[in-house]
Amino acid sequence: MNALPASIRVFERGWLSSNNVLLTDARHTTLVDTGYATHAPQTVALVRHALGPRALDRIVNTHLHSDHCGGNALLQQTWRCATLIPSTETETVRDWDETRLTFRATGQFCERFSATGALAPGMRIELGALDWQVLGAPGHDPHSLMLYCADERVLISADALWENGFGVIFPELDGDSGFAEQQAVLELIASLDIATVIPGHGAPFANVQQALERAFSRLAWLRADPRRNARNALKVLLVFRLLDVRATDFDALTDMLEHASAMRAAAAMLAPRDAWPALLRRSVEELAGSDGPLHVDGERVSAREP
Amino acid sequence: MSAAPPDPDRAAPVPSPCINICRMSEATGWCDGCLRTIDEIANWSLYDEATKRAIWHELEARHAHLMSQRSARNKASP
Repeated sequence: MNALPASIRVFERGWLSSNNVLLTDARHTTLVDTGYATHAPQTVALVRHALGPRALDRIVNTHLHSDHCGGNALLQQTWRCATLIPSTETETVRDWDETRLTFRATGQFCERFSATGALAPGMRIELGALDWQVLGAPGHDPHSLMLYCADERVLISADALWENGFGVIFPELDGDSGFAEQQAVLELIASLDIATVIPGHGAPFANVQQALERAFSRLAWLRADPRRNARNALKVLLVFRLLDVRATDFDALTDMLEHASAMRAAAAMLAPRDAWPALLRRSVEELAGSDGPLHVDGERVSAREP
Repeated sequence: MSAAPPDPDRAAPVPSPCINICRMSEATGWCDGCLRTIDEIANWSLYDEATKRAIWHELEARHAHLMSQRSARNKASP
């Protein structure tokens, strides 16, 4: 791994919370992405630990999924910080329009926050005394942004590129285009000169070429049969729920499936409605294999304890 | 998305100990999930591989300490 400039600190979080990137300079202290709501007190503690007596004065969100903006509300309560979101989400956040925000659709939770400004592809922003280009990264989420610093050859890729893959292509679940957009985003990343990628999840990595090859081949595999994306979405949302609540049962998960439109859309691509309970059970059981993240005991489903 | 228990002695790069229960305990000063201090979580991505491995071993010791405390408490209760 190449060392990052000292003005960039990465808090590598887990699966439920995205990574947080703290960028500091003489004028501003900025946190890019804030993790999941239930982890917000730890996010505040990490920022406070790193900043000492300084206040956090800005939040930037790459996109508004609950694992990337769930800490916004508590950080705002703690420091009254400015908050920049993707410009196409401005009205949605101002009105807190639950039909357009993704939290209900994914069966997840996010405490209400406000935005004070917006970022759009083509803009530039100074973070950590470095000049960053704002890039559009639709595919995983139509509004998602990435940040690229050409001088230091650093890309903050959000969920558009991980060391092993990328986020669920959510638009495709609703019959909208997402694979083509993800292809274009990967091609955009391939055109950049990059020494280090700071992904939304997982450790920062240097071998961009290999990550891109894996991502291109995964995308081709998903595109060849969109039900693969739906199957993956269903599993990802189930694991997310279990990591959040730790234990539940099949009835509660069926209820979740009925109420979360993204899960419903995924299930509709995979089975007729009367077969959804069986689909759910099969998905959970596939996640409860010997090295899987879940554990099944009769009707009870839990996150596997280490 | 694999939850196979990591083997920090062999895996390269050394995996993060995070298990998604990200809540600091006032009693221990450690995260309730991974048992790291806030300093260790904040600095994780700055550590070299040897330091990360050393922390994994320290976490084992903390886990054992917590388990022995818990069983002592259970014995002490009426």
